[in-house]
Amino acid sequence: MNTSNKRSALSLTLTKGIGNSPIPWLIPLSLILLFVFLFPVFEIIRYSFTDASFLETDYSYTISSFVRLFTLPGFYQMLIVTLIFVTASVFFQMFFGFLIALLIDKGQKLNLKGTVMVRTAVLTAWAIPGVVIGIIWRIMYTETPSGILNYLISFVGVDIVPFLSDPYMALFAVTLANIWRGTAFSMILLYAGIQTLPKDVMEAAKIDGASAIQRLLKVMLPMLAPIILINLIIISIDTFNTFDMVMALTGGGPGQSTEVIALSIYNSIFREFNLGHGAATAVVLLTINVGMTIVYLRVLGKRGAA
Amino acid sequence: MKKLAKTITALSGSAILLGACGNAEQAEEESFELNWSTTPSYSTQNPTESQANYIADKVSEFEEDYPQVELNTDLQSTDIDESMTRLLEQANTDRAPDVAAIDGYFFPRFMDYLQPLDDLFDEYEIDIDDYLPFVQDVLTGDDGQIYGLYMNTDTRVLFYDTDVVEEPPTTWDEAIATSLEIQEEGYNGLIFPGGRGEGTAVTTLWPLFWAQEGELVDEDGNPTFGEGDNYDKMLNVLQAVNEAVESGATPQRVSSYGGENDLNEEIAGGDTAMFLGGNWQVSFLRETLGDDFDSWAVAPLPQLEEGQFATSAGGWAWGIFAEEEEKQEAAFDLINRLFVGEEGMTEWTNVHGGLPSRTSIYEAEDLEAGEFSDTFREYLEDANVRPASQHYNEISNQMQIAVSEVISGGKSPEEALDDAWAVVNEGE
Repeated sequence: MNTSNKRSALSLTLTKGIGNSPIPWLIPLSLILLFVFLFPVFEIIRYSFTDASFLETDYSYTISSFVRLFTLPGFYQMLIVTLIFVTASVFFQMFFGFLIALLIDKGQKLNLKGTVMVRTAVLTAWAIPGVVIGIIWRIMYTETPSGILNYLISFVGVDIVPFLSDPYMALFAVTLANIWRGTAFSMILLYAGIQTLPKDVMEAAKIDGASAIQRLLKVMLPMLAPIILINLIIISIDTFNTFDMVMALTGGGPGQSTEVIALSIYNSIFREFNLGHGAATAVVLLTINVGMTIVYLRVLGKRGAA
Repeated sequence: MKKLAKTITALSGSAILLGACGNAEQAEEESFELNWSTTPSYSTQNPTESQANYIADKVSEFEEDYPQVELNTDLQSTDIDESMTRLLEQANTDRAPDVAAIDGYFFPRFMDYLQPLDDLFDEYEIDIDDYLPFVQDVLTGDDGQIYGLYMNTDTRVLFYDTDVVEEPPTTWDEAIATSLEIQEEGYNGLIFPGGRGEGTAVTTLWPLFWAQEGELVDEDGNPTFGEGDNYDKMLNVLQAVNEAVESGATPQRVSSYGGENDLNEEIAGGDTAMFLGGNWQVSFLRETLGDDFDSWAVAPLPQLEEGQFATSAGGWAWGIFAEEEEKQEAAFDLINRLFVGEEGMTEWTNVHGGLPSRTSIYEAEDLEAGEFSDTFREYLEDANVRPASQHYNEISNQMQIAVSEVISGGKSPEEALDDAWAVVNEGE
């Protein structure tokens, strides 16, 4: 083989090597992830170890933001409020989402008219921006006889319900609005899952004499488990990150009774200009979200392996 | 001779060409961009047609008079805290616009980045003493120079229906007693912003605190509202609000009203006869209540003790960041003709409402003064503004939390104040 042929062969090998390698395809994505995801995350973690404020250019590195966060009044209440908000939202979003998905599926099997309309109507709630949902529910919850819900409640002889001014009722009101908002997403995901279930298995269960409840609990739910798990994790993280709707609905009040972690971050940074404190709170939220993701990967990974 | 003529012609041609090039270069040198950072309300994007048209016309006039200026409009967020944070960050990093709208109580925090405007005030014959006293304090730096142009202002008062409340209460105790009386006639009690929002601070909390000569911060801007005499004065405020709610004079639902406008829906219902609000609500009341509003009047905010007086004033100012003289002049002229000059402030008040911050404008022939305008002006003479301390926002936020917790029954006044002080003071 002469020199020229050797060079051609080497060049061909290199081209083939690069062509077959995933690296060129991954470089643009990696760069984008680096700048729009990793860099901001790094910056938030860095700022959490500072006393930075938007009002001053100078700052120093310290752990005082974390010490302050964990020792000041309100932090543990915020965690409890967030936990209640997320747990109730996730459970009922999944419950109602599954119920509506089942109803639509049944409706389609029975060739009932209007199933598409129901699906679209439910999806509308999901498409409306959070701030608008907050305002809509604020109008609904108005605590005067002219408030929509209080007006309806008055027909059953109940006095005005303090939806937004009582700390416990306000948390209930915010959670209810969030359930209404997020049910559609669960419905879409679970409806898609139900469509993929093998019909022969369901029919076999029916022929074997399994009741509707047994078919639901022993056949359908186990087969839907991966979808339910994905849904669970996505809506959990989404609910942890919710702040726009809460801000428009209650602003976190009365007091701090509806101040979830994400809203607290916004308030610290944009209302009090306390970047260090806000970043420290954001790191707490990030840790929770990362924890949720690890759980998701482990549990789903095991199921996939099984 | 022919040769001489040719030479002269050639030289003349060259001179004309050189001159033309020179003019072109000069024109190019003179043209510049002017970056105007404004709120949607103070731009052609204003949702009210008459106000948008007013601004569009004035901007067109400006562009005709300043053909060399390319005006770039940058709209700020409608979230004031967010937009001011961004502007401050821009100023911190030398990326500030040439001229920007700045919320009045934020203004002193921008002074280090703003250009003094004394010469332009003289050139445009604007006398700083013509401004209301609190505005002069806001605009004047520690060095005695003027750093901004103030637009219209606003203030807080007690609104009451004279058909229901014959004499306005002057003290908080009287307000509670009157409120309980009118509830027996089927009216709502005294309402005011008591939730999480700046309206709660400036309309409900601070006037009661300032009237006792309480100080939120010391001379260096450090928080003082939770120590010494100031602690007692702030506690008095929270206890007064608590008493109003516990006695039934004020409904608990005010803990969900963070701004003055949050009261509007309840007022529109027609059962409200007394509330603490802002002067700008007059137009809403007139529009909503129609002729029924004829019997309404305004009075100073009720205070803890007889003879005390305090109210808050707000409004926006304009600051010029540009260092170039031609930019400063163009920016000043733009703001002057739009909002600040005699003609600008008069016309803007006519289309926008609000209260002029220059006293001479109240006497202007063309001013279509709104209802109670003279009374508002009288109150503005002694109005207070929020401190320019960098801790102010945190103080305000924590006290909003405190008062709404007291109203909703979550904490006692003492617990709420202690917690607010702990959060603010711990950050030192």
